[in-house]
Amino acid sequence: MAELTADTLHAAAAHDDHGHISEEEHNNNMKLGVWLYLASEIVIFSIMIVGYIIFRINEKDIVAQAHDELGVGLVTANTFVLLASSFFMVMGLRAMQQGNRQGMLRWIGLTALGGIVFLGGQYIEYSELAHLGIALGFDDASAWSTFGMRFYAPTFFHGAHVFVGVLWALEVMRRGAKGRYDHNPIGIEMFGLYWHFVDVVWIMLFTLIYLV
Amino acid sequence: MAEARRHDGGHHSNTVRALGREITVEGGIYTVVFGALALLTVIEVVSAEFLKGAIHDAPSAAVTLQAIKAIILLGIAIIKSSLVIWFYMHLREEKPLIAIVILLPLLIASLSIMYLLAIPPGGYSL
Repeated sequence: MAELTADTLHAAAAHDDHGHISEEEHNNNMKLGVWLYLASEIVIFSIMIVGYIIFRINEKDIVAQAHDELGVGLVTANTFVLLASSFFMVMGLRAMQQGNRQGMLRWIGLTALGGIVFLGGQYIEYSELAHLGIALGFDDASAWSTFGMRFYAPTFFHGAHVFVGVLWALEVMRRGAKGRYDHNPIGIEMFGLYWHFVDVVWIMLFTLIYLV
Repeated sequence: MAEARRHDGGHHSNTVRALGREITVEGGIYTVVFGALALLTVIEVVSAEFLKGAIHDAPSAAVTLQAIKAIILLGIAIIKSSLVIWFYMHLREEKPLIAIVILLPLLIASLSIMYLLAIPPGGYSL
């Protein structure tokens, strides 16, 4: 007993008599799980990004022409929408931590709306690019097809993440409306980690694909 | 809920100390960070368009200007990403283990990218 330290006492206190972990420990485990998942996502997105960077270095003229065709107006507006949705998300968590369930529902609802608007903007962008002939084709004679493959892979994969995020936001709202997070908002925090990660990926994609 | 309040790290305060001044705004640090993200995005887009024009006007200096453009824009993107991870994802309150979990794949991915970038366009020839 003399060898007991503050840490071991704390760890022992975290478990109840039945060996169950405390709520705080449970929350930390859940968050660690999400962070590990996000770590694997970093590797997947990195592969797509490096594929684009190598193409960017080797095919300067095609990328320069693509930048002229793409423009930055719509995608900049879309970037602001996604940044705002990240702000709405963290405000939703803050509201729930303050015990304001209605406020949380409003902020998370705005987060989902931001995701939907972003996807709408991406749809418009893809439609315009299709009209310009920039498609996900496998036509060896067209220089655009090689650009299209490098462009659509990361942006569409990111868009798919936004779509999943919107569904997740709606599920958080459904559970939140029933009072699921009134005493422990970890579910909102986990969704927040995912949503902010999607925002971080877009910050990098926006710079690398549209600006550099 | 009381526990959640104890662990919030003061994020519920609407007063933030930034650039040597105290700012009171609804949302506190989260609103200040959003303002910074929006401002940095504007700077990023304006810089990109300005340097694009400069490269077009001075083709002889295109390589240098392109490198400057890439460094500036990537620097801003890294600052923006760090703000989101540090404040919105609350990394500043997490244990060091979380930072390792996220930095390790970034390191491996960076090393892999550097390796791939070092390969000549036509591949290696013997």
